[in-house]
Amino acid sequence: MNVSSCMKQNVVSIKPDTTIREAGAIIVKKHIGLLPVVDKDNKPIGMVGLRDLLKLELPDFVNFVEDVDFVHDFGAVEVSHPLATTLNRKVKSLMSPAIMVDEDCGLLRAYALMLQQNLHDMPVVSKDGKLVGITSRVDIGVAVLSTWGKI
Amino acid sequence: MILAAVLSSIIFFGSLILIFSEKLHRSIIAIAGGATMVILGRIMHFYSEEAALEAIDFNTLGLLLGMMMLVAMLEPTGFFQYLAVLAARASKGKPERLFVLLGIITTILSMFLDNVTTVVLIAPVTILISEILGVSALPYLVAEALLSNTGGVATLVGDPPNVLIGSAAGFSFNDFLIYSMPIVLVSWAGALFLLRYLFKKELSKRPRNVKAVMRLNPAETLNDPLVARRILIVLGGAILFFFVHHALHISPSLVALSAAAVALVWVRPNLDEVFKHIEWSVLIFFASLFVMVGGLEAAGVLDAVIGLLEQPSHISPLLFGVGLIWIVAVLSAVVDNVPITIALIPVVHGLGDAGMDITPLWWALAFGAGFGGSGTIIGSTANIIVVTLSEKTRTPITSKLWNKRGLPVMIVTCAIASILYALVYPLF
Repeated sequence: MNVSSCMKQNVVSIKPDTTIREAGAIIVKKHIGLLPVVDKDNKPIGMVGLRDLLKLELPDFVNFVEDVDFVHDFGAVEVSHPLATTLNRKVKSLMSPAIMVDEDCGLLRAYALMLQQNLHDMPVVSKDGKLVGITSRVDIGVAVLSTWGKI
Repeated sequence: MILAAVLSSIIFFGSLILIFSEKLHRSIIAIAGGATMVILGRIMHFYSEEAALEAIDFNTLGLLLGMMMLVAMLEPTGFFQYLAVLAARASKGKPERLFVLLGIITTILSMFLDNVTTVVLIAPVTILISEILGVSALPYLVAEALLSNTGGVATLVGDPPNVLIGSAAGFSFNDFLIYSMPIVLVSWAGALFLLRYLFKKELSKRPRNVKAVMRLNPAETLNDPLVARRILIVLGGAILFFFVHHALHISPSLVALSAAAVALVWVRPNLDEVFKHIEWSVLIFFASLFVMVGGLEAAGVLDAVIGLLEQPSHISPLLFGVGLIWIVAVLSAVVDNVPITIALIPVVHGLGDAGMDITPLWWALAFGAGFGGSGTIIGSTANIIVVTLSEKTRTPITSKLWNKRGLPVMIVTCAIASILYALVYPLF
């Protein structure tokens, strides 16, 4: 089995000049975790995930203090939001490099890649590099576990 | 011989310029410079490998290594977080009070521990506290670096130049408490008042969420109270021995290394973890600089400098000392103060051989090297650390800000130190 058998073919993608605000609105509306950023040929050039957007909300200290368990109340941080100017920036200033797999990639290879890259969703591309789908840990995990019935 | 002097000067000053340019890590420059100096010395027969090894002051390295090991064991216990959180609660969320308390804690820690370590460990919690309080972290971070630079000058172990000077001049821990600490305390208070004034606007802003800070529980920040207690007991013992090391005829490095040994036996930590936290690059930087300056001395460069300085020594020794404070301060602001100190130590020794009373000069060197570091971002490692950390936040510290905050602190502390130096000069 390969990822093309368990990916979602209906992918929501955005263009690099989409604003951060618009990307956030799409994620909210579609209730999804990752937006591939594609060029005009529908080839992924990056991706914007929930994590990238939430980084704008997270306080700086989270990067410096190893264990935040003793901070029971994030106080002022909980009610502070990114500046409007930040939200109006284009996603290309914030997107992370695209990590993707070919549609004929094996399930375990795809899963291992997601584990190591700390991804929950991953774009799938065709041989000529065009975006054809998106898969998630759940999609792959379910596909793998479904084979157990035949053992 | 003149050629040797010229070439060795080129190696040394070339290294200083490279360190200043920040193109390469300073330790890489120092290792390359040290090796080049020894090779040149071998070719031109003015410096040998044995002489290079002899030039290294192992008393300095031992003291630094011992203290680094103690801190490396104390670091993972969360003790530094504990102190910062304690300060935050004691401040009741009032920015001015938090500013003073964090300043005092950083200063006291940096009197006994390495400034760099102190700032590395206090700064992240400072960002945490200011973020949940809803105020800018900048005033606190800048003050922590500047006050630890200033306060560290008070003790033998507080600042690397002091370790160097103490070792070279034979000053004891108590000598620093008697001759340096009073002057440093007044200068420190001056720095604190100045900083409070300069940050008046930021500190008068009302914090948005005091409640969150009051909900921080210091006890929860300690990951390992038992180990923390043991290391602090050992550290306390070491400090007691520092008070009497001179009377007992033991070197500060033996005190520090023995304390580290006791702590290692008592705590039995994962040694790999401890060694990972030791700043080997700093120790190598020191050793390489000693080798380089040893070559400079062997080539006769320092004698030439001493000769030059002797000419105007008909000017009063007091003026000479005050002048030294300012010259060393300016040099320490633009280059690292460690190479400056290592290079000037043989010069001061030489002036002593020429008949000058050099005890006051050692103190001038300590004040200049210590206070000068506040002037620029690259003046001290503590400054660099705070700035690098702030660059990873939403509000980075710029060199423009540093010129408005750090430079005045350098000028005021040097001025206070100069006045007090002149007043107590007969007592040195």
